[in-house]
Amino acid sequence: MAERKQKDEITKLTFEQAIGQLKEIVTRIEQGQIPLQDSLDQYEKGMALIKHCRDILQKAEKRIEKISKDEPPEPPPEEDPEPLLRG
Amino acid sequence: MQTKTKIYTVSQVNSLVKDVLAAHLPSWLTIKGEITDWKPHQSGHCYFSLKDAESVLPCAMWRSSFSKVKFKPANGLAVLVTGSIDLYVPQGRYKLIADEMIPAGMGALQLAFEQMVRKLEAEGLFAESHKKPIPRYPGRIGILTSESGAALHDIADSVHNRWPCTRLALYPVPVQGPGTAEAIAAAIADVNRRNDRLKLDLLIVGRGGGSLEDLWAFNEEVLARAIFASRIPIISAVGHEVDVTVADLVADARASTPTKAGVVAVPDREEVLSDLRNQERRLSGSMRSRFGLYGEYLRTVLASAVFRNPLLPVRNREQYLDDLCGDLGDAMREVFFQAHKQVQDSYEQVARIEPHRLLGRVTVELNELKGRSLAAVTQALNHKNLQITAQENRLAGLNPRSVLNRGYSITQNLRTGHLVRAVGDVQIDDPLVTELAQEHRIESRVTKIDER
Repeated sequence: MAERKQKDEITKLTFEQAIGQLKEIVTRIEQGQIPLQDSLDQYEKGMALIKHCRDILQKAEKRIEKISKDEPPEPPPEEDPEPLLRG
Repeated sequence: MQTKTKIYTVSQVNSLVKDVLAAHLPSWLTIKGEITDWKPHQSGHCYFSLKDAESVLPCAMWRSSFSKVKFKPANGLAVLVTGSIDLYVPQGRYKLIADEMIPAGMGALQLAFEQMVRKLEAEGLFAESHKKPIPRYPGRIGILTSESGAALHDIADSVHNRWPCTRLALYPVPVQGPGTAEAIAAAIADVNRRNDRLKLDLLIVGRGGGSLEDLWAFNEEVLARAIFASRIPIISAVGHEVDVTVADLVADARASTPTKAGVVAVPDREEVLSDLRNQERRLSGSMRSRFGLYGEYLRTVLASAVFRNPLLPVRNREQYLDDLCGDLGDAMREVFFQAHKQVQDSYEQVARIEPHRLLGRVTVELNELKGRSLAAVTQALNHKNLQITAQENRLAGLNPRSVLNRGYSITQNLRTGHLVRAVGDVQIDDPLVTELAQEHRIESRVTKIDER
């Protein structure tokens, strides 16, 4: 349950947040600042963060959206406007 | 009419024009103009145009002539060029074949550019302290350029080739012509205003290379101020490497060309993946070494005597307890022995005192003392008796009554009570008593006093 929750939290992270957390974990474990049991948990989290970072890098879509200039105030624009180009 | 009409070939016409030009133009012309579209070719030949306010003249300068030019020609530079007009027959285009080129003061646009740079620099628009940091891993990048220009694809490819996971959003803007600077400035203000929804981490503003006048919008004040005011970091990517615009100076970072935008805007995917692998190795390595270390601890602990013979401490303590019990018995025995010995010694001491013998000796002493003191007392008494007898004898001699025995008597006046020693001791009629030996007494009365 807790693992599942942690996994969900990790997949919500941006690349920058994920790699930031990963480097903190590596530093903590390398410096031996945490007890063994905690370091195991942190190790698993670190591995999950690495996987998440790789997923982000591999799920690249290489697409270009187009920002419409004449955005009407109501209703709000779609989340994902039509992609202009695909690379 | 038709029969009289002479039919020329294209080549004939071009050759004819070439001849006419050669016949009617001076063989050497010196022309004043501003360089534009400067294109040095790999071959060493240079192609460019000269322009003034109304007109443009295509030019070429061959390698042999260009090698004699002392300065570095560039777009916008006002120059004096000497050469001859020639028509290139295969294409029917004429151009000036430049033989010499000298600078003719600064071009107007160049001057305007330098003036703008000085003005905005004085206001601090280029100061490093105002540069916003470029995000390390931008998730969404807005591109402000022409929808139809090559720059869009140059920028998009350069970003995506390095970092494919960023999402690009095009905001189409004109990149040359009147009103361009105002349009781009408005676009920058627009995305900033709407960025809570657009969520752009970074903007790239740019276009491909061109003449100074083509790029001119990027030197205009209105655009410079819009870039400065943007809350979203902006990378400029304008023209060729040698082109530096005001926009480049005020932007938070500058890519020398649109194809370099990716290098400035995003990290390299391969480098990041390599870093990830490195982090993974470090993580696993640390865990392995930590487990190794703890495993070693564990082995050391297991190898210790406690684990090899878990009852050993108990046995050790039992033995200690036994030793203590033995010691306690010995100690108690010693105490009893000492106490017993003391009692024995005391008894012997007491026995050695022998009270009956002591008593006997004291009785003897006492008897002796008694004998001695009795003898002493007797002797003292005898001595005193002798002394007393002697004194008695002496006293007896002194006793007046002893004189009486020899016939003397003692007369006492009864009235005075004194002994009568002289005539004065008596008066007539005084009763006298005269004591004689044997305590015989004669009473008499004074009848006559003879004082002879």
